Amino acid sequence: MTTRPSDYLTKRLTDQMTRITIPIGPQHPALKEPLSFLLTVEGERIVESVLRLGYVHRGIERICQNRNYVQNVHVVERVCGICSHIHTTVYCQGVEALLGLQVPPRALYLRTLLCELERIHSHMLWLGVLAENVGFTTIFMYAWRDREIVLDIMEELSGGRVAHAVNVIGGVRVDVDEPQVDSILMRLDELEQRIETLLGVIQHERTFQVRTRGVGHLSAEQVRRYCVVGPTARASGVDVDMRRDAPYAAYDRLDFRVITAEEGDVWARTMVRVPETIESLHMCQQLLTGLPDGPTTVRARRRVPPGEVVSRAEAPRGELIYYIRSDGSDRPARVKIRTPTLPALSTLPDQLRGVHTADVPAVLAGVDLCIACADR
Amino acid sequence: MLMEAILQALRETFPAETIEARAVPIGETFVALPPDCLHPAAQVLVERFDLRHLSTITGQDTGSAIELLYHFWDGGGLTLRTSLPREEPHIATLTDLIPGAAFYEREVCEMLGVTFDGHPDPRALLLPDDWDKEQLPMRMTNDQSIDHPTKRLPDQETHRPND
Amino acid sequence: MNDWLSALFALFIFPGFGFLFVCALACQWIDRRVAARLQGRIGPPWFQPLADFVKLMAKEDILPVGAHEWACAALPLVSLAAVLTAALYIPPSFPPIGGDERGGWATSAFEGDLIVVLFLFSIPALAYFLAGWLSVSVFSVVGGNRSLLQYFAYEVPFLMALCGPAILSGSWSISRIAAQQSQTVWMVLVQPLGFLLAIIGLIGKLKRSPFDIPKAKSEIGAGPLTEFSGRKLALWYLTLHMQMVVGIFLLVNLFLGGCGNWSPGPAALIFGVKALLILLVLSVASVLYARLRIDQLANLGWRVLAPLALLQMLVIIWIGVG
Repeated sequence: MTTRPSDYLTKRLTDQMTRITIPIGPQHPALKEPLSFLLTVEGERIVESVLRLGYVHRGIERICQNRNYVQNVHVVERVCGICSHIHTTVYCQGVEALLGLQVPPRALYLRTLLCELERIHSHMLWLGVLAENVGFTTIFMYAWRDREIVLDIMEELSGGRVAHAVNVIGGVRVDVDEPQVDSILMRLDELEQRIETLLGVIQHERTFQVRTRGVGHLSAEQVRRYCVVGPTARASGVDVDMRRDAPYAAYDRLDFRVITAEEGDVWARTMVRVPETIESLHMCQQLLTGLPDGPTTVRARRRVPPGEVVSRAEAPRGELIYYIRSDGSDRPARVKIRTPTLPALSTLPDQLRGVHTADVPAVLAGVDLCIACADR
Repeated sequence: MLMEAILQALRETFPAETIEARAVPIGETFVALPPDCLHPAAQVLVERFDLRHLSTITGQDTGSAIELLYHFWDGGGLTLRTSLPREEPHIATLTDLIPGAAFYEREVCEMLGVTFDGHPDPRALLLPDDWDKEQLPMRMTNDQSIDHPTKRLPDQETHRPND
Repeated sequence: MNDWLSALFALFIFPGFGFLFVCALACQWIDRRVAARLQGRIGPPWFQPLADFVKLMAKEDILPVGAHEWACAALPLVSLAAVLTAALYIPPSFPPIGGDERGGWATSAFEGDLIVVLFLFSIPALAYFLAGWLSVSVFSVVGGNRSLLQYFAYEVPFLMALCGPAILSGSWSISRIAAQQSQTVWMVLVQPLGFLLAIIGLIGKLKRSPFDIPKAKSEIGAGPLTEFSGRKLALWYLTLHMQMVVGIFLLVNLFLGGCGNWSPGPAALIFGVKALLILLVLSVASVLYARLRIDQLANLGWRVLAPLALLQMLVIIWIGVG
């Protein structure tokens, strides 16, 4: 510790204090979903933390075994509210592989369009949550107001703002026509301007940087040890992105950059996610302008031949993996889901050690928790 | 090709076993191993190929055995599959090689009853603290109560309208 | 009898409790509306602060087991009393009642009332800390600790900045300082740095963003007031808002020339405009920045604000002497 006067004063006033245990959760203003942390704090620094999951465990994997494949599309959609579409995408992809179906290109494009729109929506939600957690309410209000543009587009396309129910086994259930495409492109342009403005504000606002730089540091070595995925991994310099490494849906036909950063703190994660949002916007524009003609779905059998499949995709928070095994009936014998938040959660005790109590919400927000995903 | 090199290394490490790779959608390679070969195989992957990304560990009850699938990823998907007996299944933990396996092993332990020898923190991950440890949710069972629980937790009251 | 009646009038109607109550509600509404508009929202209707107060007064009043009941009930009353007493020495008041005729515009004035006011102003901060300490829950205690650390960070620059006008005008009576400015020049033009430091100190004292560390919503619930509810909470909020009003009035008198030498009607209007100006500065500042951490605030207070305040004092002393 340095011996600056402020540190000295803080230390003198706080080192008379014994250790106290602060509960973060299950209900806490910094958490959007129930999760329990017991922080042992000495003065203002965290000494130890104990994590407890399972408050929203609904037994989705077990439920899937008791429903048929079509019903399960709707079950897995409800694993998470923010990344619902990617769950159905990965699931339908897996079942389509088991059935040996060739999904039409138009359906793949529409599926990818919703994936990227969902990524934009998720990252903007995250930006607002992070800003609110560091006390920058203005950015929270702006980000969530601009997120409404994406939600309106998704509602127009699918009928739902968050639970879209767009994917079916064999393709997608929705379609777009020319006027709709033009209107969406116009709104995406407006959204791009607004996100650029937000990015500019964040990059120049010193109080925001002071609260996020150096906070919640993860080295590349720690990322690899804990098998962290997604923007959290990319912010520590680990270049991994399923859209580029294992292209699915229409990603092999798209031109995009994978954004990485080096510092590995909450600031780096911001500098990965916000440019990634802009990149996703460009991808949406490519998808809409290059939409191929054709049907949007193929017929799928109800009974799936015996087999197993491992299906992966890049959710907004990282690599999402499904393992599906079928035994020849119309119900899956096993659906295993591993969501990207789970490895990130295992790094939190390490990230929180030695951190100021005041930085806990920033650390939690930086990791982009989606507890419903982690608990299933 | 990386997968070829890995298979070759596994064959060298376990000359007594037949190491066969099976292609599984989507772009995955499955290799079956006996349970006590799993930790050495993971050691080969980590130390010789720097393949440290374990996506997850799937546990499933196939009726005759408990199967564990270790899904790795390094540009392509590699899954190591192993079978454990249904009574008292146990296997060595991978947390000494890959600390990220801790959460996955905890989940398999609480859902299927597999003991991971040497796990640093074998608490339940998702199930509540007062869950009956004998009830393993992901085991195949004809017991309907697991899907329609009627057993009440000790201090839970029932709220009937006229109370 | 007339004296008694006018005293009661001054204490309870104008410029006492009644006037300050209405001002607190109005200031709260303007602040929330301006902040909302800057954030792209609409903001509450004009009667919202009154509705909030009435609603809170009607709610159930509970405290956790182990909290000191009577102390927690007394603390908001003590703070309120301190703020209202401080308001007695701060213009405006019309017509001048008792006190020094030359000062003229405060309900009561004497040489040195600035010191008394600054002392009374510190009482709510200490009561706030005690409220956190005595209500026993973890969030309250941590919030209370932070509020005390914050107090040490902003109080010294704040006091030094407010002593500037007193030194320059040669009087320690607020009314006299205000009256003098209408003859010479507004203090803000002579010591703009002092004015800036006073505003920053006021933001810290009022625990507004970016210095709302003790009640950081996303970190520790509501800080020291987490366990308060019902009437106690209503009185706490009333105290905090009245403190804002009285603080703004203090700054208007010390730096912006107070009521000036006008006749009552225009004087009230001019005073209102100046107060509104400061209120707008506070509202805009509350939406522009992220919240600082307590050690960053302590850093700012001791490494930046205190030296600047010292510099300002030296400049004033040099001007005053020369």
